[in-house]
Amino acid sequence: MAALKTLLYVFVYPGLVFMFVYSTFCEWFDRKVYARLQNRMGPTHTGRWGLLQPVADFFKLMAKEDIVPEKADKTMFTLLPIFGLAVVATAMLLLPVWHFNPAAGGFNSFSGDIIVLLYLLSLPTIIFFLAAWSSTNVFSTVGGTRVLTMFFGYEVPLFLAVLSPALLAGSWRLAEIARFFQAKPVLLLVNLPGFIIAVICVQAKLERTPFDIPHAETEIVGGTFTEFSGKKLAFFRLMTDVEMVVSSGLLATVFLGGFPGGLVLGFLRFIVKTLFVIFLLSLLRAATSRIRVDQVVSFAWGYLAPLAVVQLFFVILLKGFVL
Amino acid sequence: MKFQIPIGPQHPALKEPISLRMTVEGEVIRDADLRLGYNHRGIEKLAEERTYLQNIYLTERICGICSHSHTTCFVQGVEALLEVVAPRRGQFLRYLVAELERVHSHLLWLGVAGHEAGFDSFFMYTWRDREVVMDILEMISGNRVHYAINTLGGVRRDIDEALRTKILDSLGILRARTDYYFKLGANEPSFVGRLAGVGRLSKEDALALCAVGPTARASGVAHDVRRDDPYGIYGEIPFEVCTADSCDVLGRTVVRIKELGQSYNIIEYLLRNLPDGPVAVKAPRRAKPGEVVSRYEAPRGENIHYIKANGSDKPERLKVRAPTLANYAATLAMLKNGFIADIPLIFAAIDPCICCAERTVELIDGRSGRPSQVRWSELRRMAARRAGRVSKKRNMEWPL
Amino acid sequence: MRIAGFVPELLRHLFKKPATVDYPFRKLEVPKDFRGTPFLHPETCIVCRACERDCPAEAIEIVEVNAAEKRFKMTIHNDRCVHCAQCVDSCPTDAMEMDDKFEISAFSRWDLKEEWEYVRAVVKPKPAAPAPQAAPAAPVSPSPVKPSESET
Repeated sequence: MAALKTLLYVFVYPGLVFMFVYSTFCEWFDRKVYARLQNRMGPTHTGRWGLLQPVADFFKLMAKEDIVPEKADKTMFTLLPIFGLAVVATAMLLLPVWHFNPAAGGFNSFSGDIIVLLYLLSLPTIIFFLAAWSSTNVFSTVGGTRVLTMFFGYEVPLFLAVLSPALLAGSWRLAEIARFFQAKPVLLLVNLPGFIIAVICVQAKLERTPFDIPHAETEIVGGTFTEFSGKKLAFFRLMTDVEMVVSSGLLATVFLGGFPGGLVLGFLRFIVKTLFVIFLLSLLRAATSRIRVDQVVSFAWGYLAPLAVVQLFFVILLKGFVL
Repeated sequence: MKFQIPIGPQHPALKEPISLRMTVEGEVIRDADLRLGYNHRGIEKLAEERTYLQNIYLTERICGICSHSHTTCFVQGVEALLEVVAPRRGQFLRYLVAELERVHSHLLWLGVAGHEAGFDSFFMYTWRDREVVMDILEMISGNRVHYAINTLGGVRRDIDEALRTKILDSLGILRARTDYYFKLGANEPSFVGRLAGVGRLSKEDALALCAVGPTARASGVAHDVRRDDPYGIYGEIPFEVCTADSCDVLGRTVVRIKELGQSYNIIEYLLRNLPDGPVAVKAPRRAKPGEVVSRYEAPRGENIHYIKANGSDKPERLKVRAPTLANYAATLAMLKNGFIADIPLIFAAIDPCICCAERTVELIDGRSGRPSQVRWSELRRMAARRAGRVSKKRNMEWPL
Repeated sequence: MRIAGFVPELLRHLFKKPATVDYPFRKLEVPKDFRGTPFLHPETCIVCRACERDCPAEAIEIVEVNAAEKRFKMTIHNDRCVHCAQCVDSCPTDAMEMDDKFEISAFSRWDLKEEWEYVRAVVKPKPAAPAPQAAPAAPVSPSPVKPSESET
């Protein structure tokens, strides 16, 4: 019986099927909002309201021919998409929404799991770089160097911004941080600058406009993904979608108060809050244009990092003298 | 460490095939080279086998966006050879469509610049407003591109009062949207950050490298064929030549938006002062021997057509010098010492219409790789020998 | 504020109807005088062959089927037609007309050819347009299209 339950958890909810369904739903939501902001329609005819469009894209890519360039590293080529998907799927397990009993700990909720989540979210960047490097294509090389250059820009502000609520709550465990803010919702406003910084940095992590420099279509064709096709590209795209869900889940946990309420209510809150964060990400994507990679680094170190430090300082003062 | 990045012939930044080889070091371009010929269709040879009337439709298809520029430039030249003068109403309608084409081309360019910079929302908005102009052109001429409104001796269609008021009303919408795009384009920080300081072309360089059109006007060179050498009725229409001083892509954007405003004024003037009368006169079919050079200010710059007549109803020679061909040398100068990220913007800033500019071809020996030069007469002899072998039946099979 | 200046306009569009026309599920309206495909009114054609001469794409072909009965057959090659409507302008008796069909794709170019077989009509052509300022219009004998001679 326990074995059956484990299999259900692994494959259905919160396992692979739920991950697939929800991340494609989030991609549909993002594309639909982006299109409506631009006065267009977005996906319309695959399934009702175009809901099945990302699923159709995934299966279409799975069916396409898989070409590996002659000089590329075949092992890396094959392993990297699978490894990437595994990494973000593991990161999804750490979100504090699958706990039907919030007080208990467990293998996916322990002190320090916020650091593990952030680490697991930085791995995709390295994976993109390795994918670009093993492609031996001029465009991929430029894309790979851009991925790492951007990484030097946004990672530090993201860590600092996510650190402030953890410091305020006095815990390194995601479930406890969420519980702290559920008890005192007013303190959410203290972290508002941190929220804005974190949204911008998550946009950079997900490589969406204004930070979609590594795979800028009009400049370097496909950047990291130029040589990938067929199943490998399908996995990379699914990985990007799941990464979007995980990042918005992280932001919703630490900045928007988590997902209390047990199985059904918590799940509903999860959907509402992650969709809100994804709406903000789509708005940012529609409102700006792509900037150059050197401008990313100067913007991140000139504005984002100092602001994040100021926010951290303010939180420390608040914790020390008021709370 | 230098390596070569090929932009083209197939590349998402380009709408048409052209081969640019950049030698880059890190993200900085050190050298650039250009190869043409991927879109060559032999239009100048085809023009020699068609009558002047049929050639109107052939020159129209040199390009899709600036189609009216090519046919008007051609028809102006042929009307001079045939010694006919189009009636005033016909000329007003001809240049009304010309200014509408300029509006649609500049709105298209704004969208393309936004797309190359990654600003897709701007792209979608400008192209949505361009649909207003396309609908007007469809109502005037029956087709959204390739208007085919010119004929030898005037224009083919007339507009009635309802259409005239409709165009005047649409101008109001277009003016409001253009003002909004000016505010947006000049103030959105990420967009301006991409455009400012990119693709510098100083005034001396613009004059030395023979840049034309908005590319030159953004460097302060106030050349506009409509003012320097007025053709048709431009001598009596009040308008200003728009220039900017910043010599970069932002200047070119500002020049094009200002030209949109000027075009709206010209369209309004033409519509309010539209004279009555016929729209065309009957023109003879044969032209007396002679040659004519016809100049026209296309949305991209100065368009030159040279036509030589030999007394029959087909031209002896047609030579087209499209504005983009003149801007290529300036592009190479702009690309040096830029960033890779700026390549699509610099190239898009000259508003490339590569199929307009496909005129010269370099012959390279397939085995040795050395370029060779063939005389014009030798090329004609080779072509005539090959054409002589083809069947002369009227109902030639056109193989797919 | 400059940075978020575009955002109110974007959010306004969330509540507007999309500007896209849901073609092909919604039909596109074309204006009158739209240049679709050419077709013939056989009862007014006097077989002057002006359309055949003036077509820039050699898309009209008139063949004599029976000289005694004055029967002719016109084939319009819609796969070669560029929809310029010069045939409509050249025709002196308004026998050629453009309809508003633009969804004419087919799987083979041979499906796109249309034929009419008819007897030559006896109809007075329209009076010519006002006299030009130069020499009167000389009738041009149809000259076959031949490759240009080489000139040294």
